[in-house]
Amino acid sequence: MTSLRTLRVNGHDYTLAVDAGATLLEVLRDKLGLTGTKKGCNVGDCGVCTVLVDGEPMNSCLLLAAESAGRSITTIEGLSRNGKLTPLQEAFIHEGAIQCGYCTPGMILAGTALLRENPAPQVEEIKEALAGNLCRCTGYAGIVRAVSRCENYRGDGTCGDRTAHDERDGQGNGRAPYRDPGGKPFAAVGVSMPRVDAADKATGRALYTADIALPNMLHGKILGSPIAHGRVRRIDVSRAAALPGVVDVITGADVPDTQYGVSPARYDEHVLAKDKVRHVGDEVAAVVAVDERTAERAIACIQVDYEELPVVLDAYQAVQEGAPLLHDRYPRNINTHVEQSFGEIEAGFAASHYVREEEFTGNTIYQSPLEPHAAIAYWEHDGTLVLYTSTQVPHYVQYMMAHVFHMPLGKIRVIRPAVGGGFGGKAETTPLDLCAAILSRRTGRPVKMVYSREEMFHHGRGRHRQHMRFKLGVDREGRIQAFKSEIHLDGGAYSSFGVATAYYAGSVIPTLYHIPNYRYDGYRVMTNKPACGAMRGHGVPQPRFAFECLLSMIADDLGIDPIEIRRRNAMAPHTRTVNDMDIGSCEFRATLEAVCEKSGWDGKYGKLPRGKGIGVGCGGFVSGAGYCIYRGQVQLSHEKGKEPFQKRSIFPHANAVAKVSEDGMAVVLMIGAAEIGQGSDTVLTQMCAEALGIPPARIRMRSEDSDISPLDLGAYSSRVTLMAGHAVARAGYAVVEKMRPFAAALLQCDEADVAARDARMWDQRSGRSVPWEEAARKYFNANGPLVGTGCYKPPDGLGGDFKGGTVGTSPAYSFGSAVCEVAVDLETGKVRIERFTDYHDCGTPINPMAVHGQVEGAIVMGASETIFEDVQFDEQGRILNPNLHGYLMMTIKDAPDIFSGLVESYEERGPFGAKEIGEGSTLPVLGAVAHAIANATGVWIKDLPITPEKILRALKSREPQRGPEAPAAALART
Amino acid sequence: MHVPEVEMHACVTLEDASALLTRYAPRARVLAGGTDLLVDLKTGRANTQHLVSISRIGSLRGVWATAEGLRIGALTSITRLHHSNLVRERCAPLRDATGQMAAPQIRNMATVGGNLACAVPCADLPPILTVLGAEVVAWSPRGERRLPLPQFFLGPRRTTMESDEILTAVIVPPMPAGFGAAYARFALREGNAIAVAAAAAGLRLDGEGRIADARLTLGAVAPVPQTVELAREVLVGHRPDEPLFEKAAAAAELAARPISDVRGSAEFRRRLVGVLTRRALDTALRRAREATS
Repeated sequence: MTSLRTLRVNGHDYTLAVDAGATLLEVLRDKLGLTGTKKGCNVGDCGVCTVLVDGEPMNSCLLLAAESAGRSITTIEGLSRNGKLTPLQEAFIHEGAIQCGYCTPGMILAGTALLRENPAPQVEEIKEALAGNLCRCTGYAGIVRAVSRCENYRGDGTCGDRTAHDERDGQGNGRAPYRDPGGKPFAAVGVSMPRVDAADKATGRALYTADIALPNMLHGKILGSPIAHGRVRRIDVSRAAALPGVVDVITGADVPDTQYGVSPARYDEHVLAKDKVRHVGDEVAAVVAVDERTAERAIACIQVDYEELPVVLDAYQAVQEGAPLLHDRYPRNINTHVEQSFGEIEAGFAASHYVREEEFTGNTIYQSPLEPHAAIAYWEHDGTLVLYTSTQVPHYVQYMMAHVFHMPLGKIRVIRPAVGGGFGGKAETTPLDLCAAILSRRTGRPVKMVYSREEMFHHGRGRHRQHMRFKLGVDREGRIQAFKSEIHLDGGAYSSFGVATAYYAGSVIPTLYHIPNYRYDGYRVMTNKPACGAMRGHGVPQPRFAFECLLSMIADDLGIDPIEIRRRNAMAPHTRTVNDMDIGSCEFRATLEAVCEKSGWDGKYGKLPRGKGIGVGCGGFVSGAGYCIYRGQVQLSHEKGKEPFQKRSIFPHANAVAKVSEDGMAVVLMIGAAEIGQGSDTVLTQMCAEALGIPPARIRMRSEDSDISPLDLGAYSSRVTLMAGHAVARAGYAVVEKMRPFAAALLQCDEADVAARDARMWDQRSGRSVPWEEAARKYFNANGPLVGTGCYKPPDGLGGDFKGGTVGTSPAYSFGSAVCEVAVDLETGKVRIERFTDYHDCGTPINPMAVHGQVEGAIVMGASETIFEDVQFDEQGRILNPNLHGYLMMTIKDAPDIFSGLVESYEERGPFGAKEIGEGSTLPVLGAVAHAIANATGVWIKDLPITPEKILRALKSREPQRGPEAPAAALART
Repeated sequence: MHVPEVEMHACVTLEDASALLTRYAPRARVLAGGTDLLVDLKTGRANTQHLVSISRIGSLRGVWATAEGLRIGALTSITRLHHSNLVRERCAPLRDATGQMAAPQIRNMATVGGNLACAVPCADLPPILTVLGAEVVAWSPRGERRLPLPQFFLGPRRTTMESDEILTAVIVPPMPAGFGAAYARFALREGNAIAVAAAAAGLRLDGEGRIADARLTLGAVAPVPQTVELAREVLVGHRPDEPLFEKAAAAAELAARPISDVRGSAEFRRRLVGVLTRRALDTALRRAREATS
């Protein structure tokens, strides 16, 4: 039923034909084009669709448009007037409250409503007002800062006081600029400038894939399997195809036979099921229709006849003989077995003074970015495929589309609009990308496909649940003698990144502490659940959690302070680990000293009342994978011969072009690095500006379109700052080199004496200068376009000469330590994470505010996964909580207070001394939380998440016993 | 994840609304705040073709002081209820529930009537309203019925209202002298979380400080708000102290009929019931003493 309604939106009346069932969200986005109002969960759990209705924040996904007629509706687009931002929008921009930006419009509207009622709210009032708005990136810290400091902003981009970020560096106000090793201060690097995309995100202008509508566009939906394991006997699409508005329906018979995936040796997914379905949600058919609602109705009309097969959901059961087999090619469901041994493991244990063995279990974590995956595909008349997609890895999507469709990469143009968070969940080609392309080719029209929240959970690619059996031996002083790790990774139904995950779970453990003897056995196992993939910290957070717990247990057993035992084992700079990881800069010890002092550790550990606890955890990560995911050069995989592995990069992993405008006033920086909210566009702008000698404001970033920007492998393995950073800096230097003779001519000096800085070209000898742009114009007059290019290849020869020796290699490694303080309600088991103190060695912070934003976000995400998050399945393999009210992520009210600090460090292999921060910052968190809870309660919970129920059960089981925990597995030897 | 094809009927009178509900029963439902109904519609849980919107019936919105107590209009949002001065002055324990439930956006939309009429077992208002002795007013062309809350809930998402009846108000009688009540809930996280278990307690003290009357109602641990009759027997006539409240808590644990789900096992919920009962009783006692002095 459709009727005419008049909606008053942002002060204007719109009379529209509105379906009775249309939500305000749908009307705002689809009819009025007000796409600043986002769609996240569609059932009122996430708050990204928040609008003001008569001044009150409401979820526009739960409000029927017809019901909102006659009320005054304000969307994010209605806040700024004539392009002038509100003070709160300015505050969000300048206080680091924005990362991926997907929660930002809703947050700003909720904050605006609060400030109208209460212009000077207390922190608790801010948290209460924003409790209905989830953020997955910022850890809420910047958001609280922005709302509480809003009065400092006047809405004209100025601010009375901007010292907050510098204070957090622990350096006091007005920290001296960061410097290169020669002592020369940086100009654009090391500066907490606001994100280059922040204003677009604060005003709702930023376009995400689902915000884009192309003319004549169709909408697609995929039918997922309702059962976890079975053979597809017959599919009847006739009813669906006959539905008015349906344009096309495809099944497995209509898609290429070529399998796809991530690990080249394990491509095992079909675009749509050809024979079997292996998890609930496995893709069976797809429909395209005039609108999404019709497509949704159509997939419900498809009848599929399945032959049900037995289901296996547990990794240990899956490897038993006779267990249901998911893929014939993986006997006993073992997708990968990693076997690595370094040193003399048994001799190491024999030489140990104390050995403890424990079992730990991880949880199934889903990244849950607030922006659902989305894709829009269309085909040019010349056969070029254009794909808009919400991805972290535009190049790998291009590579995989080429692979599936047997077409040159050059005929595929991938456009990555703004991305609302990824965390590893958007690091591979999705069925949406593939189905949209197929359906678009068949219909000759653009096709858009967007996952629902539930479909995101079924698509999966979250963190593997790992079953870990660890054995650690130390000497009398707590120095590690030997470490043995056996891990079963529950991989779900397809390989995805899993081979790499299984290697990472072993290879990054020895980067933090000296481990002279090490054995790792990893089994990546297939189960009838959505495939697991690469989530923030790829494979490492759960083993790191387990290792940190075990180390803290041993410290307590031996009466050594937990921070002291870490000091004694801490990695030293310029070390080759037992598994041939090449550690360069390393200020791990400094991070330990810093968190110890800043948190007041010595006055707290062992001295807190019951129910209060403090714990420590450490971690670090690679600054970019040393090798590309696929072998050989950039070329259609089917055309490449079998490539023997070489310990060097075949092509540059990051490539940039800096093109100077003809008047010399602007530089367009082109690189395919994926901005997914982590801030890569901003830090790359800063690094290029540093090299060019101009302010970042003169640079415009073009990173979203593979037709414009050269290849960068994307946002994974924390590689962008280091690798793309080098590429953009080199492109900048190349421009300066070209300008040098023209500047020298203008200055009448030696070319060698010319330096670019502060938007001028200087004769360093005389101190005279000319405007930068004048030299650029002179170049153009003589030579035409002024363009510089730069690229980066990881060093040759990374890694040892053993199977899997490449995984975990990197040009540089980050290090960090975190102290967590908790309060536990001993009657209910409820944990309140009160405070985090974190110090990191990330080399030179290119943008300290962005670095702290990564740390704050990682702490809240990591703490959330430690105590809340778990994808739960029933016995048939159905997800019990594929939504954001069952799968709980921390809200602003749950987030701890965070102090994030940095230690002085300079990485020779990084651009301007920089290393990674995004993933390494997650790693200390889980262990620190677990340790703090153990410290508060006296019980170690060794399976994640550490829920109130588990804590109560552990406390209860301990009641009749006495004294401190003495696990049966603890073996003391002298 | 769209609302299916529905017809919307925007009513301005109760008569219209009731007539439509009758005409389209059982495929019609009242639409007020919509925070439950839209989720049900989108997830296919509600088999409804007709939405009978009562949002424009302005007389159902507001909080009034009447001779029989506080009259809370069914369309009053949770936020309005929470900030109502009348509630603050005369019915403060309600604020234990209104301040903690869901998220601000939901509280701005969700209505008091909806929180009751949807009859979701984990709803926050029913336990405390039960303890406060509230009655719902159900209107139909045949007249108004008063339903004390224990007679209102039949089971999950089922009430004793007839298909043509519309919940128009809740009447909360004045709290007697020496009476204090409180609501304690446990949720897995602080913001926007559903109650895993909840307990509402009410205590009336006599002049000697003995418990003259006691009420205890549990939420989220039974198909309907579970009133613990045994607790009343345990408490009444005694001086409140810790062992007594422990006994009441044990009675509550016994009375709970929890299920296991993603939020926790039945066993865990039962333990929570005991803890929450003690906490609700402690707060209720403190308030009762304040109300006596």
